[in-house]
Amino acid sequence: MIKALNLTKKYGKLTAVDKISFEVKKSEIFSFLGPNGAGKTTTIRMLATLIGPSSGKILIEGKSPIKNSDYIRSIIGILTETPGMYEKLSAYGNLKYFAGFYNLKQDRIKKNIEKFLKMFDLWDRRDELVATFSKGMKQKLALARALIHEPKILFLDEPTSGLDPESAHMVREFILSLKKEDTTVFLCTHNLSEASSLSDRVCIINKEIIRLASLKELQNYKKTRNVEIVLKGNSNKYIGDLKEIDNIFDISAKGNKISLSLSDPKNTNPKIIRKLVNNGAEIIYFNEIKESLEDIYLELIKSEKSDEKRA
Amino acid sequence: MKNALKIFKKEIKEVIRNKSIWAPILIISVMFSIFLPLALMFAGDISEDVEAMEFISKMFGSSVDAQEAMINFMVKQFIIFLLLIPAMIPSLIAPASIILEKESKTLEPLLATPIKTKELMLGKTMTSIIPAFLISILNFIILTINIDIISYLKFGILPLPNLEWVISAFILSPVISFIITTISLVFSSKTTDIRSAQGIGSAIIIPIYAVIGLQIAGFFLLNIYYLLLGCAILIAICPLLLKLTIKTFDRENILTKWKMK
Repeated sequence: MIKALNLTKKYGKLTAVDKISFEVKKSEIFSFLGPNGAGKTTTIRMLATLIGPSSGKILIEGKSPIKNSDYIRSIIGILTETPGMYEKLSAYGNLKYFAGFYNLKQDRIKKNIEKFLKMFDLWDRRDELVATFSKGMKQKLALARALIHEPKILFLDEPTSGLDPESAHMVREFILSLKKEDTTVFLCTHNLSEASSLSDRVCIINKEIIRLASLKELQNYKKTRNVEIVLKGNSNKYIGDLKEIDNIFDISAKGNKISLSLSDPKNTNPKIIRKLVNNGAEIIYFNEIKESLEDIYLELIKSEKSDEKRA
Repeated sequence: MKNALKIFKKEIKEVIRNKSIWAPILIISVMFSIFLPLALMFAGDISEDVEAMEFISKMFGSSVDAQEAMINFMVKQFIIFLLLIPAMIPSLIAPASIILEKESKTLEPLLATPIKTKELMLGKTMTSIIPAFLISILNFIILTINIDIISYLKFGILPLPNLEWVISAFILSPVISFIITTISLVFSSKTTDIRSAQGIGSAIIIPIYAVIGLQIAGFFLLNIYYLLLGCAILIAICPLLLKLTIKTFDRENILTKWKMK
């Protein structure tokens, strides 16, 4: 659905995005993560045909934005980082104005305005000026605006920013529901738990792509795993036995709990369990601690920064 | 064109709602097309006034009728005064249209729609030029009616409309509006402050004040040749300004080079 090939954007001497390549499949939720100034918004702007790349190639539905910009703009919706609305127009007026720029019939415009205002709980306030709306209401209205023409591709830059937990949950549920309607979602977020709960794949970027993978692949990218074992009774006496096993390090015991790091879990985990059972330990549970996206993200960004320093 | 009309429709409603735009226009209009012509009511016989007669003979030659010459002179002044209106209206509307768009942060979502930047530019230009043209013409008509009534009652003549009036109202006035609009649009892209953007428009009006001053001081008298020369010079500038405005309204330029709040 979206293809970027060696995409680069330079502003004078500053490189905002450096030779990034990726592909987003139809009805995929694809998340872009990265620190401030990593080039996320610049990439969205290039994909949304708002700005042109300095070099590289973009294909949307197999079409080049340079020759097909009008068509591409008609099939994409965008929620910008700072989604402004006309404060002196009503919620209905704002949506009607923006919908007017797409080649939609009047009855479809009316139907969609009603559908999205009701969906985002704004229908009862449709005739009120946007100036009277809270930040969260404006954000929901901006989301409705991005969807008004039922785009095939939706670019969302921080979609839940400024929303209360209930509204943020509703928006997340809505984003997940778009998948069923075959909408491709390109999500830019700082909210890592949001990215991990919504995304099919995650792309960590800092001017260039640091890692592009599914959440599962990201969680498995590290060679070492952290394991927590809870025993019945004191766990201290088993530490010595466990140290004899290869591929185990950073082992510690506290009360009835043993924490350790290991590599080659397929072979090492059975060895640990066997050793403990053979030595009379009663295992209450054995748990491999999955790293959160936040941990992985921070680690990748940290290693990227130290690589930069070394270079 | 359809999209430009949509922008025009929305923006013109905002202009009508914005008192800070139409209040000064209303004041200036009433002053120039109603109060100033009333000055003619109080004009007496100037044939006894030596200074006035010297001025008249310097400007029109000694053979003309003094009263008629005086009315002609005042009419020329009023026409120039009235040219401030097509200059002032765009200097108020065009910056407001851009700066308010920046303040509401609606440019990026607007540019993400299939609208063409030329349509956006045309919509903004129309919002500024159409009211300027209509209000100017209305003022020219009101001025004409007032002057003709007063002149006829007092001196039995109908000085307006004349050729200078036609050129000023239908050529010079829209050209001035276009120039001020384009300069204001370009300048508004570089600022986030509405007052400074409107200030640049006011600064461009200065040459019109200069013409008024020079005419009052007796340095020259506006005639059809000067008007046509002025029109030719200003029309020659228009394509350059249009090119500059189109460049300013490039999508990437708007998002990366315009000064935003």
